[in-house]
Amino acid sequence: MTFRLTCPVCGKRDICEFTFGGQERGPRPEQEGLSAEEHFRWVQFRMIPGGAEPAQGAGQRGWRQAALQQEWWYHGQGCGVWFRTTRDPATNREVEGDGGEG
Amino acid sequence: MTVGRGEGVGGAPTGRLTPGPACRVDFSRPLAFRFLGRPMTGFAGDTVASALYANGVRIFGRSLKYHRPRGLYSLDGESSNALMEIDGVPNECAETTALRVGMSIRAQNVRGDPRTDRFAFLDAFDRLMPAGFYYRLFHRPYRLWPLFQKGLRRMAGTGVLDPVARPGPDVRAERYLNADVAVVGGGQAGMAAALAAAESGLRVCLFERRGWLGGHLAWRVREYEGEPQYERAEGLARRLSAGETAAPATHPAPAMHPARATHPAPAIVKVFTNSPVTGVWGENLVTGFTVGGEGDPFRECHLECRAKAVVVAAGCMERPLVFNHNDRPGVMQAGTAWRLARTYGVKPGNAVVFSVADDLSLEAAVDLADLGVPVQAVADAREAGHQDPALGAALEERGIPFLPGWAASRALGRKRVTGCELRTLRGAGSRRLRCDLLVANAGWQPGIGALATAGARLAYCTHTHTFQPVQLPRGVFAAGSLTGLRDPRSIEASGRLAGCRAAEWCLGEAARGGRWNRGGAESRGAATVAARATEAAERNAESLPGPEPGCDILHGPGIRRGAKAFVDLDEDGTWKNVVESAAQGFDVPELAKRFGGFGLGPGQYRVTGQNLAMIMADLRGDPLENASPTTVRPPLVAPSLATLAGPGHDVHKRTPLHGELASRGAVFRRAGPWLRARHFGGDPRHGASEATAHRLREEILNVRRNVGLLDSSPLGKFRIFGPDALNALQRVYISDISRARPGRCLYSALCNDMAHVLDDGAIVMDNGREYYFTTSSARAGSTMEWFRYHTRHDGWDFHLVNVTDVFGSINLAGPNARRVLERVTDDDISNEAFPYMGCRWITVGDVEVRCLRLGFVGELSYELHVPSSYCQFVWDLLVAAGADFGIQPFGLEAQYCLRAEKGHIIVGAESEARVTLTDIGMGWLWDREDTVSKKVGAPALRACEGQPGRLKLVGLRVRQGAGSSRAEPGASGAGPGSPRDGALVLDRGEIVGHVCTTRYSDTLGWQYGMALVREEVAVKGGRVVLQEEDAPGTKVICMATIVSPPFYDPGGERLRA
Ligand SMILES: [Zn+2]
Repeated sequence: MTFRLTCPVCGKRDICEFTFGGQERGPRPEQEGLSAEEHFRWVQFRMIPGGAEPAQGAGQRGWRQAALQQEWWYHGQGCGVWFRTTRDPATNREVEGDGGEG
Repeated sequence: MTVGRGEGVGGAPTGRLTPGPACRVDFSRPLAFRFLGRPMTGFAGDTVASALYANGVRIFGRSLKYHRPRGLYSLDGESSNALMEIDGVPNECAETTALRVGMSIRAQNVRGDPRTDRFAFLDAFDRLMPAGFYYRLFHRPYRLWPLFQKGLRRMAGTGVLDPVARPGPDVRAERYLNADVAVVGGGQAGMAAALAAAESGLRVCLFERRGWLGGHLAWRVREYEGEPQYERAEGLARRLSAGETAAPATHPAPAMHPARATHPAPAIVKVFTNSPVTGVWGENLVTGFTVGGEGDPFRECHLECRAKAVVVAAGCMERPLVFNHNDRPGVMQAGTAWRLARTYGVKPGNAVVFSVADDLSLEAAVDLADLGVPVQAVADAREAGHQDPALGAALEERGIPFLPGWAASRALGRKRVTGCELRTLRGAGSRRLRCDLLVANAGWQPGIGALATAGARLAYCTHTHTFQPVQLPRGVFAAGSLTGLRDPRSIEASGRLAGCRAAEWCLGEAARGGRWNRGGAESRGAATVAARATEAAERNAESLPGPEPGCDILHGPGIRRGAKAFVDLDEDGTWKNVVESAAQGFDVPELAKRFGGFGLGPGQYRVTGQNLAMIMADLRGDPLENASPTTVRPPLVAPSLATLAGPGHDVHKRTPLHGELASRGAVFRRAGPWLRARHFGGDPRHGASEATAHRLREEILNVRRNVGLLDSSPLGKFRIFGPDALNALQRVYISDISRARPGRCLYSALCNDMAHVLDDGAIVMDNGREYYFTTSSARAGSTMEWFRYHTRHDGWDFHLVNVTDVFGSINLAGPNARRVLERVTDDDISNEAFPYMGCRWITVGDVEVRCLRLGFVGELSYELHVPSSYCQFVWDLLVAAGADFGIQPFGLEAQYCLRAEKGHIIVGAESEARVTLTDIGMGWLWDREDTVSKKVGAPALRACEGQPGRLKLVGLRVRQGAGSSRAEPGASGAGPGSPRDGALVLDRGEIVGHVCTTRYSDTLGWQYGMALVREEVAVKGGRVVLQEEDAPGTKVICMATIVSPPFYDPGGERLRA
């Protein structure tokens, strides 16, 4: 498996220069009144790309179509920036034109 | 490596033909070598296989399962027949390995000589070895499997690795390339594609597995547009190397090559010969390797080429004809016989029969006859009228019987071919002929490997009777004979077209602009020109003959159920096995492959793939268009494991004091990216020897009683500043960092979201907007990532600078530390002016030094953060000042023991993924009032509080501790008969935890330890049993009492003294 990502600072680089930072799951929740359940849900739970309810999806092919996810990557072997990009994990392809925001 | 041609050398040596114009062997340069100890002679330009064949060797080895004799079948490594042990290295492919002088070659999978193999009797027992027999027969009773396995391993399998042998200097290298267009295959189509792409000013890399370019053309003498085909190949190759293009570029180079923009673009093609491609991967990464020849500084070189577009022009190989005893030595591919004669000047046989199914093989028969090789008959599995009439006429002219509609049904002869039986495919015609060489194939199959690994969708084409790409990945183009073309003009035109399309693709990407494709008008101009070139190439290709019909023969006529007609040579997979597999329900290739092992050998899909798919479809009663290929697995051609392992450079960092420590006899070890001093003196070869243990004890006691010096430079050192610096610190550290004050060290820890401790360190406030902090050396590398990750949504304004390498760090520790430091500075460092946990800037011999008074080792100690270039100077001052105290350096091992006596944890030893900050007794660091900073780990700490069944860190006083401290933490622990790090903790026979660290302490006079145990056992004064078992019968058991750390100086008076 190999693909490339577009670092907003350095441009298209080989995947081996980056570290995966997981799906975008929103900012860290406020801790005042945060229950353990809510906290661990935020830490551990991930969305299945293309739909929250895979069991009712149209099988593998069905959600393969729209399998895009927003995710974080760190350019550790380069400039050291964390950036967000949109990618299809089924094909590993980054969505054209994304990867520009920091 | 180029080899001189044989022309001009009069006559040919024994066993060789008079060298023709396409010969690549230089008969003026003989090379002596040995096969099974027998001296033999080959020539420069020979492969091991061609040299053996020229020396009369016909049996190259024995087959995997039945130990049948096997001979030379292919020349490009398509089967395992010619895997040999060369100079002690097993599984070298004789077909592709260049002959070198003095080589010692042995056959594999044989006892002794392959001509008289001891296990040859196994062939008679084949009915006891049906498909999948390993799995079915030897599975029960399961306890006997190891025994069977041992026996099977001895009889089956290929090479044997000698773990001690180290053959010669063996340099591995790697290259990482960037190209616009990568071309796989240096035949006619590949070369045309490379030239076409280069005309657009693009950078092209071309990979060819053989040592020369030209593919099929390289040895063919038939005329092509007025010149012999090998000359056509040479012409194309010359144009590639000369940087000359077919039509000079009529437009400026695209803007991505500014240097070239003002000059006419020369072709930029980097040609890699002897370089098989191992796979094509996502976003057009092409991997392969180059086999080094004479004058190359490496034996094999790993290649990775990231390209914008890939042209796959990998050509075709022969589809084997499945007939009875088709594996006999003397049965070979048409190309093998032909190339033996043309490329290597070796006479392939004295009486040759052909059973083929395509025009190229007919051309081979004609050409071999012209070279003086007696051709007895030519059978063609295609019916009359499907051949090139010129070739039929040529055979007739030469008096060679031509039999369309016939095919080989059987090879005769026990150890090698002595004759063959030909039959008509329809009707009952049959002939027996005497021959010593039977050239057999069922036509062509494309080399789909590169396309398949790239992710192309392949489907069976009923016109060409091959698997053809029906959907190609982005930026991947196919060309040449693998698309079914046979006419050289069509092949070249398809190559040119693919090259133009690849160029258009690359330039289109550039023209689309975007921030990272510096495109613009020039690129758009170039893209337009490239599009016009593509149109012209399309028109040209359309005017030429398209794919030619192929042959769908499944097997030779009269195949019998019990016969040994091989579908897979590597795994001894026969027609019979395929039928058995289908009968048991494994009737699709992917299942049959697992069940019968078809295509799992070194040849992979190459011999087996297409035949298996076609036969399986037929056995299921499906039409051939439903045939599905098995998945092609990389590497398409196997590089050696050593090449994949790489050159093995040990890239490490040295501290500014490395030379100094080395001169003092430091024994270094790798710690993260650093080389660090373990200890000084002692025997470096024996980590736990008595001498080392003695030195270690001296180092420890010198710190406890006197004063020692530690090079702690790998310690992570960071500056953080800006309006939001404090916010960032509050986020990642678990304590309240707003309590930091100038001149004071604040100790804190860093947790992850599960409240596991990741690191600890000191934080110093320089002013309200600037802080300085330390991390453990292991954590220094990921600190930047961590801070930025956990603040990524906040948009905070702060800067983090890693100054780990900017400052070295020297720890001056021991009761005499202040008296030493006083001698080298004029600043007031009295206990009142510079108390414990203080931080001061002091001047040491004119050098401004940040000095932290910390106590990791449990004594009065100063951590001096010195600009790297001054480390040696400051070190020398300290050594001189401490000379009359007996100051001595100490190493990592001493530090490890000293801190453990104080009960200070090391992340990874005393803390792990099951325990939180609270569990290891450091909960006091947590600022539990703070919910505003959203501290990483705080919610998990709260959730785990009071949770039952957690592990807790406790101190141990081990009862039977005696002996000495050992050098290696983790590997050895305390004295003889004492448990070591990792020992089990038991309570009433039940495992309740494990020992993290345990040592005998000379300072304390007893053995201490730290252990993670279940909460209910973690009661001060409780008794537990420590147990350890390295191997059966070496059980160590002793008692321990639970105590609370620190073991040494529990009140901390020594730190504050
Ligand atoms: Zn970057």
